[in-house]
Amino acid sequence: VIIASIFWLRVATCFYAVGLLHSMLALVWRRNSLYPLARATFRIGVILQGVAIIDLARATGRVPVDNPYQTLNLCAFLIAVAFLAVEWRYHFGSTAMPHFPLVFIMTLVAALERPVATWTDVRVRDTWLVVHIVFVLAGYAALLLTAVASIFYLIQERRLKSKKSRLLERLPPLATLDNVISTSMGLGFLLITLGVVFGVTWAFIESGTRWIGDATVTISLFTWALFLAMIYLRASAGWRGRKAAVMALVVLGCSALTWVAHVGLRPTLLR
Amino acid sequence: MKLLLTGLNHRTAPVEVRERLAFEEKALPEALDQLKRRPGLLEGMILSTCNRVEVAVTADEQADAGSAVEDFLAEARSVERGWVSPYLYRYDGSDAIRHVFRVASSLDSMIVGEPQILGQLKSAYALAKERGAISGFLDLLMTRAFNVAKRVRSETEIGESAVSVSYAAVELARDIFGSLQGTRVLVVGAGEMAESAARHLRRAGVAEILVTNRTRERAEALAAEVGGRVIDYEGFHATLPEVDILLASSGATEYIVTRDEMRTALGKRRNRPVFLIDIAVPRNIEPSVNELESVFLYDIDDLEKVVDTNLRGRVEVAHQAEEIIREEVDRMVLRMKTREVAPTIVNLQEQLDLWVKGEIERQRSKLGRLTPEQEEALEAIKRGIVNKIAHGPITELRRQAADPAGLHALSMIRKLFRLGGE
Repeated sequence: VIIASIFWLRVATCFYAVGLLHSMLALVWRRNSLYPLARATFRIGVILQGVAIIDLARATGRVPVDNPYQTLNLCAFLIAVAFLAVEWRYHFGSTAMPHFPLVFIMTLVAALERPVATWTDVRVRDTWLVVHIVFVLAGYAALLLTAVASIFYLIQERRLKSKKSRLLERLPPLATLDNVISTSMGLGFLLITLGVVFGVTWAFIESGTRWIGDATVTISLFTWALFLAMIYLRASAGWRGRKAAVMALVVLGCSALTWVAHVGLRPTLLR
Repeated sequence: MKLLLTGLNHRTAPVEVRERLAFEEKALPEALDQLKRRPGLLEGMILSTCNRVEVAVTADEQADAGSAVEDFLAEARSVERGWVSPYLYRYDGSDAIRHVFRVASSLDSMIVGEPQILGQLKSAYALAKERGAISGFLDLLMTRAFNVAKRVRSETEIGESAVSVSYAAVELARDIFGSLQGTRVLVVGAGEMAESAARHLRRAGVAEILVTNRTRERAEALAAEVGGRVIDYEGFHATLPEVDILLASSGATEYIVTRDEMRTALGKRRNRPVFLIDIAVPRNIEPSVNELESVFLYDIDDLEKVVDTNLRGRVEVAHQAEEIIREEVDRMVLRMKTREVAPTIVNLQEQLDLWVKGEIERQRSKLGRLTPEQEEALEAIKRGIVNKIAHGPITELRRQAADPAGLHALSMIRKLFRLGGE
């Protein structure tokens, strides 16, 4: 039954992946055409996740919160249900953008409870890891661009507010900086999300269930969640100027911490 | 007769003072009538724009025209004379002529070379003429000023490289929005400044221009001029969330956009930047709106500061223009004097004639009956005395009329020979 439960959960993750795709399209290319499909697959995902939880509960005879995986699973399920309820009651779908990736990542992690057979080929393992690192580093580069553009935005904004003459003539217009920030932020989030997916699955295959309690994983996921929050605040509340600059710097700082935390892993990775 | 110019502008007075002193357009005719009635003043003219309020008068030599004009300003605008006095400049004679020429040629403008001031000066002249406040020298001076402005414009590059308040606003809009394509503009008020600014924005490629005004006809005229769309004045606040650039230039006396209204609009547009240009005096937009995030409010004084730097590059052009002005002032002073030299010569001859004749008549009885030959001789003596005495002053008057610095000889001679005020 536990195996069946995990199976349904993994299928649900696949369905949730469409939602993630929609969020990325909306963020980076500002396209919403995938939303109807993403919403439909999200609903299917919720049903399957529900089935998985009920299966597990019936098999164990209690609410499945025995380990971090199960807790995360239930939590993701509740968030998804809450989103659907709000969407159904108030026709308020604009929070899909942060919800879809969040539910996807949580469910993905939860679906990695049962270990699978370890790497059959060491080259697959190494390539997988390299892909993870490249995605994350590219994401950091985009994030750095976001932070720099945010600071430029802040300076340009101050200059326009203070009504001083053009001392920094070469600074681009606010709208241009704003576009750079939006695009680099969206792209950065896309890359880092892909990096997280690759990283999580790699760690799962590599070390079974032990990785979930690891501090490096926790800090990575925390940084990712912070990034998600920043993107959401910007898209919904229109955070610009000082708030946006501070936020970008905080996320950049957390990313640096994550990186530092991973440096210690080098001997393990190069095993 | 003497010429006097009293006024204040963006350099001598802050916007708070200018908006208190500025005359409403519909109050001007009445103000001109009042000015004309002041004792000692012969002619008068009022120029009132958002950057300057100036009163030019001609007056009797003996009259205290300076006080009369300051009293007039204080009374007409209901302010204390002592409050406004420190902001005023006063020019007379050739300095006043120079100032008028510089204003007309846009050398004294906030943005040197901007073309609106000439139009505003022409309107002020037309109104003064219509009210009969201008008849003699001021008429001549203004007509000349318009020619000087034309000369400056055609002989220097001042008009070509010139920026106006509106152009400065467009440059700032570019700093905020980059390309202006896709931006939406709302113009509140339909004055000349609004029209010029809207036209600049249209040329810069804005997507849409909405126009609103208390009087719908004027909004329609402006909309037709700049290819905009008219919206109801009562409902214009509802469009604020969709508007990227708001150009306010209405004659409203209280704020038409407040901080709270702007905050609400910003929330609806998710803090996307908005550029507010307040070229109205008195100001149309609550100044504290600029404290809101993503709002950039520029009033007319702010625009001056911004373009001040750009102006430094124009010093060279302005020098050429000043050269032309100097030349024209000399010419005008000359005309001013020759205008008075001829009547003065006639006056002088009449006066001397009167004196000599009076003296002769007084002693005539003692001479007894005179023969026609004696009468003729007496007449010849009289003519001779008048001519002998008048010769020196008249030669001096004629000589000095050709010299721009010689303005004082005229009044000196009038004084010496008691020729009266005019």
